[in-house]
Order: sequence, then structure tokens, then C-alpha cells
Amino acid sequence: MTKKQPEQQILHDNKKIIPFLSIIIPGSSQIIFKKPWRGFSIFIFLLISGYLVYWGFEKFEISKVQLNENNFIPWLILPLFLFYAWNIFDAFQISKNKKSPAIIAILSVMVILYTIGWSVTGVKLERLVTRFTDAKSVMNKLVNPDFFSTTINGKIEICSWGCLWDYSVAKINGSETTEVFLSSNVGQIFGQKGTVTASSWAVLFGKATKNQRIPGFETGKIIETIAIGLLATLFSTVLAVPVSFLAAHNIMKRIPGGSVVYYIVRTFLNIVRAIDTVVWGLIIIVWVGLGSFAGVIALTIHSIAALGKLFSEEIEHIDAGPVEAIEATGGNFYQIIRYAVIPQVIPSFLSYTLLRWDINMRSATVIGFVAGGGIGFFVLETIRMGGYQQYAAALWAIAVVIILVDYISSKWRFNILKDQPKFVEKKSTWKKVRNIIYVILAIIVFLYCWEITKIDLSKLFDPGPTFGRLLKDFISIDLTGKVIDNVLRELIITTMQAFLATTLGGILAIPFSFLAAKNLTGKSKFSSWIFYLVRSLFNILRSIEALLYVAIFVYWVGIGPFAGMLALAITTFALMGKLFSEAIENIDSGPIEAVSATGANKLQAIVYSVVPQIVPPFLSYLIYQWDINIRMATIIGFAGGGGIGLMLSTFFGSLQYHKAGTVIVAIVIIIAVMDFSSAKIREKFI
Amino acid sequence: MLKIENLCKTYPNGTQALNGVSFEVEEGEFLAVIGLSGSGKSTLLRCINRLIEPTSGKIIWNDLDITAATGKEIRFIRRQIGMIFQQFNLVKRSSVSTNVLSGRLGYVPTIPSLFHVFSKDDHERVKKTLDMVGLADKIDVRADSLSGGQQQRVGIARALMQEPKMILADEPVASLDPVLAHSILKYLEKLNKDYGMTVICSLHFLDLVHRYATRAIALNEGRLVFEGLPKEIDDAQFKHIYGKEAERIEII
Repeated sequence: MTKKQPEQQILHDNKKIIPFLSIIIPGSSQIIFKKPWRGFSIFIFLLISGYLVYWGFEKFEISKVQLNENNFIPWLILPLFLFYAWNIFDAFQISKNKKSPAIIAILSVMVILYTIGWSVTGVKLERLVTRFTDAKSVMNKLVNPDFFSTTINGKIEICSWGCLWDYSVAKINGSETTEVFLSSNVGQIFGQKGTVTASSWAVLFGKATKNQRIPGFETGKIIETIAIGLLATLFSTVLAVPVSFLAAHNIMKRIPGGSVVYYIVRTFLNIVRAIDTVVWGLIIIVWVGLGSFAGVIALTIHSIAALGKLFSEEIEHIDAGPVEAIEATGGNFYQIIRYAVIPQVIPSFLSYTLLRWDINMRSATVIGFVAGGGIGFFVLETIRMGGYQQYAAALWAIAVVIILVDYISSKWRFNILKDQPKFVEKKSTWKKVRNIIYVILAIIVFLYCWEITKIDLSKLFDPGPTFGRLLKDFISIDLTGKVIDNVLRELIITTMQAFLATTLGGILAIPFSFLAAKNLTGKSKFSSWIFYLVRSLFNILRSIEALLYVAIFVYWVGIGPFAGMLALAITTFALMGKLFSEAIENIDSGPIEAVSATGANKLQAIVYSVVPQIVPPFLSYLIYQWDINIRMATIIGFAGGGGIGLMLSTFFGSLQYHKAGTVIVAIVIIIAVMDFSSAKIREKFI
Repeated sequence: MLKIENLCKTYPNGTQALNGVSFEVEEGEFLAVIGLSGSGKSTLLRCINRLIEPTSGKIIWNDLDITAATGKEIRFIRRQIGMIFQQFNLVKRSSVSTNVLSGRLGYVPTIPSLFHVFSKDDHERVKKTLDMVGLADKIDVRADSLSGGQQQRVGIARALMQEPKMILADEPVASLDPVLAHSILKYLEKLNKDYGMTVICSLHFLDLVHRYATRAIALNEGRLVFEGLPKEIDDAQFKHIYGKEAERIEII
């Protein structure tokens, strides 16, 4: 305390002068007044918004107004100035121990961000209306997927729901009708008879020669996708376990030089994790060529990093007591890990693996966009040929698979995390037999997946012709002015896409989430119908990756960042809707009762008792979604959604690897910065 | 005989947990360590088996310099010293038998132990030890399905698997209710009297010290403030150990 006295004295004596510092350096006097968080935010946001206003005006003439004959200025300097003025006002208020309304600052920053974002992502809301007829035809096709066909006048036509209905009615009545059969599209998605490359088993048993085309069963694209997701999860879990021990500080500090290894591995994991699976796909195809194998590798690499981080944090959070106890018995390093660490982390490792399986299945549906395997590749083909009904069939298949995976994964996770001690009885013979059957089944599934994803480990040691150049160019990335300029532009667009999608999708989700919360919808028949309807809408929309939505919006509003932003907004809407409604269901019901007891109506009860309880979880989920969206925005361009992804795929396509390297470094930096700041914000407010 | 000479421990954050502590423990003694929370009891016990590195000072045990031991030697020493903890420190998800078996880790070769391969003798020993602490029927259940008192008995069984010459007990009964406290301490007393093991046990309650210990030492802010027989702790000594504000509370 004695040390602080003179400091306090200085602060007190200069109370009148310090606020003036904020005129020169915004936020500085707030920092001196012991509000470092506030001061720092003011400084950073003023810097960013100032730069954005300048940048937008220079590059895109955003908010240009004529001052006189040959002088133009952006009107956005008005909110900027307002923010600056507020900062000075705030400094004086603090010196008088008064509060100033932060809403002014927030609003002016929002005006700037929205105006710039609106402009650079090419938001043209009127298109949503003017081109609605186009959208209607897409929607019509989406609800009439190509599953069944029939022959009309000798030509094969898609048989939609109406046609199916007529057919079934005719069948039941026993009247004559044209035959309806499964479309060839279904065969491609789920599998069909055809010619296939001889499997390695056939080669092994001498039934065929290598690469011979023989009649057989063609694997469906969705089956291939499932195989990619399963294998990537298996491989990444097996590899992430040892990695996670290297990235756990409480383990590594026990061995000499371990702390150095820890910092290296942690940094490495963070970099690998910042690059999206799809971007990894781009790199991997240069190495092993197009195909499911590339997809498996890309997913595996990203998952190792993601799981490695989660696992290592789990290791760091174990109960240290057993470690101490095993150490006290004279156990060595390995025995401590085996007997004190591993038993503790098994449930959480399993649960994270299941969660990752869910994520990997979703990634597997889009990895084909670049890597050429699985349903993503099929979707890309249908879009290129304008086959929206085939595209729709693929989306429905994906939705069913992902919803199933999501359900299984969350059920298992729930059971694992309960982790109740089981009272072991003597295992019955039937149980032993059953376990053996499970193991055999698992091995068969594994071998089947290995076969259909065409895993060829020898390819790993025989990289493609340009892979050496890629490695070389990635080290000597292009940092010339023009490239940096372009990358920066795309980076701003990408960030703005994520920002608009998060805020718009999130805001749109709020009213819907109230309809999907069981404790608010009540128990009447009508409201429970609404509940199920909205919940299902969330679940179906959520099962499709943003990248797959882009095609719809490209058709609707045209190629570009706006389409990508809308695709992100849809997935945001779906996930936020689900999480928000669960947050509402988890609130304490006491206050609702209390407010209702005062005679308030339903809406009043919501405003006064529900809203205050859900603001913190809502904000926390929005930040979480922001982290997801900024990653997704970097790849949305692969499907025509604008942003940095388009640039990246162009650079890869034209073999300009050193420029691609620049883009990747930029992505890693922006994601690292955003992750760091959202973690800080979370710490501060939630 | 255990000889502690001028033991000091300063933590990286500057806390001085032990400040020149010296005392001796004869073989076969039941030594109680008393003092307020944060007086350095836990640090002292953990310095004896080097779970915590002392900053300076010496610990000599039967002419063996514990403070000078390295790597393998430390583990060799540790396996002869059983330790019992306030929070039991069992691996909750592992079975009772695995928890007890882990007491043998200092004796068995590394590679087989990593695959949970233990000798027949070790498995027999688990049964015998669990029988001794009255938990023979619990051998296959998970540790977290046991009550607190039972978990501490598993902790004792684990320590006994080490065939220890000395037992360090860090507040072994502080997480248990008084009735269970006596039952646990009776086990320690039995080990001390019947098997001649030296027991060094930190305790909170004076009546437990009077009842079980053959000798006591007291710590206050890292310094040794008392050394002698339990009955010598009168009201004046008590105030000296625990501070002026303290009052004696009797439990059953």
C-alpha cells in the first residue's frame, strides 16, 4: 500500500489535466485512470474505424459526398468524429467519477462497420426481392429433389412428389399407370451396380489385375463421405493423443527441455488449426492428387490440431492428487502417465472424439469441393451442370446423414460424460460373444472405408510434380505491395462478411429462438406444433454446411461476397437459433413466476424475467459463432461466395504458390488475432 | 532414524513455507505434526519424500542423504516411504485393485507395468492387504463408488503395497467425520505398533494427537515452535502454537 500512495497522489493532483491527454491519444487518459480495458478498446476501435473509413473512401469511394467543386469527403467521418468526441467527454466524466453513455461509441462504430461492410460485401437487399422469381424456381427444385423418375412420352423425367402421389394412388386403386423407378441420381449418391476399379482384395486373391475395370458395386458418394469422416476421426484421434501430451504443460515440465517442446507444439497446433480443412485440401491435392484420400488427409491434419489442443487442455485440468500419489509410490514418468493421467482423461477424450466425428462428417460433405472426393465433389458437378434437383437430392441425403450423426454423437457424449461407476458383474458369455462381434464388425467397416477412400500410403512418399515448388514458394512468400494490397482488400471483405453474417443471422435467430423454447411455447397443441416446426427448421438448416448453401444464393443474388454472406447468415441463424432456444430453456423459472404473479402478461414476463437471464449466454454464443464464421468466411469463396477463398483458389489453380502462401499467412494472422480478442472479450464480459 | 537439519523451502512466489526446521525421528515413533493451515506441515512431509524440492537443508534417513538423491535413487527411496493424503488421491475411475496395485509401481519393471501386467505375488498381496483394511469384497468396484472412509482405507492399502519402512500421512482424517477419523488412525496405530513402521502424521485436532502420537512437533509460519511429548502441550504451549486468538475445541 505504501508504494501506491505517491501514485495515487499524482493521479489526484492532475485529475483536471489528465483528460486532455485523450485529445492527443484517444483512450490514454482512461488507461491512466485505471480503466485499461476501456482505454485500450477506444484506442484500437478508433484506429480500426479510422483506417476503414479512409480505406473505403480511397478504394471504393464509400460514403462520398461533394464538399465543393473538386473536394470530396466521406460522410463517415461524422460518426468517426462523434466517437472521438465521446472519448474526450468520457475522459472528463471519469475524472469527475461520473458515467458516460457508451451507447454513443458503440452506435458510431456500428454505423461505420455496417456502412463499410454493406458496401464491400456488395449487399443489394433489393435483389432478394427483384430476383425472387429465380429464387422461387430454386426453392421449388429444392423441395422436389431428384429421387424418382418416370417415363413420359418415351423420355425419362424426374418424378416429383405430385407424380409420386398419383402413382401411389393409382397403385392402391389398381389402375394402370406408368412405372416409377429410382433415378440414376440415387445410384450415384447411395451406390449402384456398375464398373469399378478392381479392389486390392480382388487383386490379392488373383481375381483381377491392378487398376483393372471390372463389374461391381459403385460406392455411393454419401457412403464415401461417411467413410472419409470416419477414417479421419480415427486417424486424428490416434495421432492427437501423443501430440496432446507434448502440448500439456503439467506433463512437459516434468522432463528436461519439455517446456520448449510444449511452446513449439502449442504454436504449431494453433497455426495448423487456423487453416480451414478445405484450405488444407488445396495443399494436400498438390501432394497426393485429387480424390478421397486427399480429403481424408486434409480432415486428419486439421483434426489432429483441433483435438490435440482440446486433449492437452483436458490433461492440464486433471486432478493433480493421483499424480502426486503415484509419484510418492516411486513410480517413474511413464508409470505416472499410465496410472494417474490416462485413466482420468479417458471420458473427456472419448467425448471430444465423438464431437470431432460430428464436425468431421460436416467437413467431409464439403471437402470434395477442392479435394475431389465424397458428396462435395458430386454437389459441385451438379451445380456446374445446373442440375438443381440433383443438387437438392444430395442436400437431403446430407441432411439425413448429418442429423443422424449429430443425434448419435450427442447421445453417446451424454452417456460418456455422466461417467457413472458401473457395478461390475461377471461378464456373461453372450456379452463376450457380442463384444467379439463388435470388434469384427469394426474391423470390417474400417477395411471397407480404407478400400473405398482409396487410401494409398505410398502416395505420401511420391508427392505430385509441383509439391516441391509449393514448399519452396511457401517459404519465400510474395510480399510485394500490390499483392499485400489485394490480400488486405479481400481480408477486409472476408471479415466484413463474417461480421454481417454473425450480427444479422444472430438477430434474426432471436425471435425464432423464443418460439423453439419449450418452457415458453407452453403446452397447448398449437404451440407445441410451432415448437417442433421451428426446432426441425433449425436442425435441418444446421445440418448443411455454409459452403453448400452458396450455390442457392449465387443463383438468387448473383456471384460475390453477398451470396457468401447470406450463406453464412443462414448457418448462423440455424446454430444460434438452436443454442439460444436451449439457453432459454435452461433459465431459472422462479423470476417468470414472480413477474407473472404481479399480473404481467406473457410478453411483459419475457421482457422482465427472461431477457436479463439470457443476455450473457446469447453474447457468449455470438462470440463463439463469430469464431466459426471468420473461419468459414475464408473458404466461402470456393463456391463463388467471394472473399479471400476465391483469391486463394485462383492462386492455387494458376500455380502461383508464393502468392497463395501470402494469403495463407494472412488467414493465420487474422484468425489468431480474432481468436485472441474474442477470448479476451469473453473473459471480460461473460 | 530420520534426521532433518535446517530445512528451508521458499516457493517461486516468495512464500517461505519452511524456515530452518530441524528435528529427529527415531525408528518406530508415531510423530504428530501440528500447526495451523499454511504453517508448512504439508510442505515438510512432501520434502521428506522429495515430492517438493527443499531450497536448502538436509534430510538424512538411516545414513542415506535423501536431499542428495537423484532420479532413480529418489524413486528407490520413495518406494520405501508410504504416503497417505487428505483427499485420498485415488484415481477415481480406476478399480480398487488397480489403485492398490499402483503401490507396487516402484518395484516392477516399466514396460510390463504399462500394460497392466503384474506378477501373481503382487495380485495375492492386493488381496491380503485389502483383507487387512477390511475391503476384500470391494476389490473390483470403481474407487469413486466407495465412501470417504473406505477410500482412505484403499489409500492405506496402496501405501502398504510398497512394504514401507515409514509412513507419511498428510492430514489423513481431515476430510472424514470424527468416528471414521478414529478408525483410520487405528489402522495407522496398528502399523506403527504391530509392524514397527515409523509414522509421521500431520493432524488438526489435539485430542487425536494425545490419543495416538508418541511424540509431537508443531510448526508456526514455517518454524519449529514445539517439540516434545503430546501431554506437554498445555494451554500456554497451545497459545504459542496456534496464536492468542485460538481456543481449544474438544471432539469426541
